[in-house]
This record gives sequence, C-alpha cells and structure tokens, in this order.
Amino acid sequence: MSRGDEEGDGNGAAGTAASGTVDADRPVVLVVDDEEMTTEAVALWLGDGYEVLTAYSGEAALETLDDRVDVVLLDRHMPGLSGSETLARIREREFDVRVAMLTAVDPELGVAEMPFDAYLLKPVDDDSLHETVERLCRLADYDDTVGELYAVAQKRAVLESEHPPGILEENEEYRTLVEEHERLQGETREVTGGMDWAGFERLVGDL
Amino acid sequence: MSSPNAPPDGGSDLAPADIAAGEFLDRAFFRSLVDNGSDAIVTINEDSEILYANRATERVFGHSPDALVGEPLTTIMPERFHDGHHEAIAAYVRTGVRKLDWSGIQLPARHASGEEIQLDITFEEHRYEGERVFSGIMRDVTERVERTRRLERQTEQLEQFASVVSHDLRDPLQAAKAGLALARSRASDDVDDTLGEVETRLDRMNELIEDVLELAKRGRAIGETERVELRSVAGSAWETVGTDAATLAFADPPGAVEADEERLLALFENLLGNAVEHGGPDVRVEVGGLDGAGFYVADDGPGFGAVDPDRLFDHGYTGSDAGTGFGLSIVEGIAAAHGWTVTATEDEDRNGGARFEVTGVSGA
Repeated sequence: MSRGDEEGDGNGAAGTAASGTVDADRPVVLVVDDEEMTTEAVALWLGDGYEVLTAYSGEAALETLDDRVDVVLLDRHMPGLSGSETLARIREREFDVRVAMLTAVDPELGVAEMPFDAYLLKPVDDDSLHETVERLCRLADYDDTVGELYAVAQKRAVLESEHPPGILEENEEYRTLVEEHERLQGETREVTGGMDWAGFERLVGDL
Repeated sequence: MSSPNAPPDGGSDLAPADIAAGEFLDRAFFRSLVDNGSDAIVTINEDSEILYANRATERVFGHSPDALVGEPLTTIMPERFHDGHHEAIAAYVRTGVRKLDWSGIQLPARHASGEEIQLDITFEEHRYEGERVFSGIMRDVTERVERTRRLERQTEQLEQFASVVSHDLRDPLQAAKAGLALARSRASDDVDDTLGEVETRLDRMNELIEDVLELAKRGRAIGETERVELRSVAGSAWETVGTDAATLAFADPPGAVEADEERLLALFENLLGNAVEHGGPDVRVEVGGLDGAGFYVADDGPGFGAVDPDRLFDHGYTGSDAGTGFGLSIVEGIAAAHGWTVTATEDEDRNGGARFEVTGVSGA
C-alpha cells in the first residue's frame, strides 16, 4: 500500500458526505461518530494523507463500507447501532479492513473478546490519530499473523493500562489473550525471514 | 458438677493487700479479673450448654450471666449459624480437627434485642472438674466493622462518581477539540493565536480529568502486594515520564519493597514526572534506598523555591502553571494505602534540589 504525496487540499474536510470521491493512490479511512464535529475534524486531520469518508451512525457506516476502505475509526456510544455491534457486523462481512475504536469509554474487561485492531481513548489529536492510522495501514504489507499479533498486543496493552494485574490474572479471557499473544510472537518470528526488517521493527517493535 | 458461676468464697471485691495473701485469694483475683473484664467470656461444655458467663455478657449480648447459664450457646448465635456450630463442635470432639481459626476470628452474634453484633472471638479449650470445656473471649467490634463498611461504600461511590464524570467529560472535550481544529483551519493568524490558547486550556482540562480519575482510585485499598525491585519499577515509570535530556540514576543498591506494583508505579510516575517538570530540562534524578526503612527520590533541580512545603501534598496545590496539583496528593494517597509516610525536603547534597523520602516501608 502506498501513501499519496498530495498536500491536503481540503478534500478531507469537504468530503464529509457519506460517500466521498476516492483517489486510488491514497489509503481510505472511514470515520464513524455521531458527533459531526469530531468526524469533520478527523477528516481535516487525516486529509493530508488519506481519503476520508465519514458516517454519523453505525448503520450509515455499514452502507458506506466497501472493499476500498482500509481503516475504520469507530465510536462506541452511538444512538442506534452501537460501536461494538457495528464492529461485529463489519467482521461478519469479512472485509479486509482494520478497525480502531475511537471512544471515551474506558476499556472494560470484556474488550478482550472484541475484534478490533486498536483502541484509542478520546480525546485524540492530529498526531495520535496519524500514528495509529499509519500503523494500521502498514499492517497490510505484512503477513496476516503480524496483523493478528498487532491486534492482540493492542488489546493486551489497553487492558493492562486500565486494570490491575490481580484482576486481569483472574480473568479467563485475559489469560487466553496472553497465551494467544505469546503464540503469535513465536509464529511471527518464524515468518519474518526476508521481510522489510526496519519497517517491521517500527511497526511491531513495541508489541 | 458444680456450676463455675457460683460466687467464690470471699467475693470479688479485692483490696490490693488481699492479692498477696495466698493461693486462695489468687483464685479469687483471677475470678474477679474474668468476671469484671470488658470482654465477654462464655464457657460451654461439649453439648454447647453454657456453664459460665461473665458480667460483660450483659453489656455485649443484653443477657445477664444468670440468664445465660444453663442455656444453649445458640441463644447468642444468629440462626443461620446454628447447624454449622453443632456440626463443627461434634466434628471437633470426635476428630480434634478445627473448622475455624480459634484465634481472633470475626463472627456475627445475636443480641437479646434480635440485632446482629460483630465480635472478635478467641476460643480456648480447657478442663474444668474433669470435663472438657470451651471458652470464648469476645469483644464487640460492631461499630468498627460498620464504620469500615461505610467507608468502603463511600470510597466506592466516590470512585464511581469520579469515573462517570470523567468519562462523560471526555466526549464533549473531544468534540470541543475537534471544533477548535476546524475553526483554526480557517482562522486568521490573530484569531488562530487565541484559539491556540483555548486549545492549551482544553489540554489542561484533559489532564485534570485523568488526574481526578487517578485520585479517585487512591482511596482504593491496595491490591495484593509482592516484593518489587525499585530499580525495575522506577525504570518503567521513567519510560513514561522521562525525557531525553534528563537522567535517572540509582544509588547502589536501590533495594526492593513489599508493594502493590501497579500503585507503586503510579507513585514513581508522579514523583519522577514532578522532578522532570520542575527540575529543569537536564535534571538528574536519583532513586535510592534508606537502609531498610524506605526509599527516596531526589533531584538536582531548584528545589521548592517559593512553594510552601506544608501545602505540597494538598489537592490542587501547584507550584507551576503546567501541573494540575494532584500529583503529590496521589503520591501521598498511594503511600498511605501501603502504610508509608512521604516527606519532602530540600536536598543539601544536591544544591537544595527536591528530595522525597518514603518511610515506614517493609522489605526495603
């Protein structure tokens, strides 16, 4: 996946309708949030490197989503279809898409089983959004195992930042997550021969 | 068998001179001690029949000693414990295996009014006139137990409140930051300057929200403690709050403490973050042990200056424009939850830099 070199031309901010024009060279990000100002700002921030589509509800997101979309930024608390329900339907439809939750909700223990790739706690700004979206886009260059490793490591980090070790260790889903993480770390070491090591290190160095 | 409740010859009012008068009065002395002690004492036989009760039972249970003697022990037990008690004592008489810890356990009992009271109980087994008997020495701790429960409830409510408020503030804060970014993208330079100021305030509100959450957690009792190496936990904290120009050093050897690792990490994040914030860009921070009594975090920055050391640990007190003033309050809360004390001084060996000592630490 390559990233376009065009300067932000306001296309992101202007293209806030649920369907925007899609430039074939730039990764496509779909922002889903019932707060219009938030979706617009995300479109503005990411507009310099991405095509940004916006949706103001889970239902609208599912209509907009197609295989051009590389990354979805998904709010959790929305009227109608919630973020986690929307996420479940996105996964059912088996799009090759990375999903980052973008939410004010602290990650409860149950998120161990939610199939997201990253978890961003509001408020976010230009820099933190760019960092996450870039990483998620880069995952497409690697084996599926790396993508799984990334998601599992994110989930683990998010849980560990929010819950004390004593509580986590008693949680079965968490323990499963840790086992999965260790298994994927082992597998990733096996499949990384001949890969772009510098890029890989940048991507998963701290997983 | 004669009842041990029969008044001893000579009565129980003893003058000090009587005590030295011989074995007979020694018995009377101990009898008096037991009778008049503030803890309730009840003795039963293997059939759980009450053989003896001291005067304090009147105050603790609302039953006079006379009313209790001859009655079953279950008279002063909540009904749900009756079966368990009979089984436990039968099993003990048969096998010698105790179902409960006999020393200082806490159990509810039933007052004559029907109310439940909380007791600290120590059981003793002894022989009286050839019979095997059991005595319970019982202290009424109802008030203490209720106070603790009330505090726990309040703490929990406070934490929930802080949590709800903080999270509910994040959403509008995100929207405000978003709206601001949109406005800045089309603002003239002078308007943009003003909006930049607004953004600074929003970031500060966000810091406050996060600190209030952390502060609410400080009321939380610490979790399981384990032996934690100061070097490793301070190192992890430094990864979060340290900067390239600042250095963290360890006095040799910093040692280990018995602590809740997550809370200790938060303590170090705040102390080290403080040093970085106030000590200047190239500050050197040192962490070391205090000969088994605790540990310290000292820096070679400018010290406390005009900041009042007595107010350092107060909520919301800050010596800088950047801080929220909650950091040291959080530190003190975490220390207190471990039973530790934090003191702040200016370090003479480091040109009067800030020095925080955490003392009263076990396993340091």
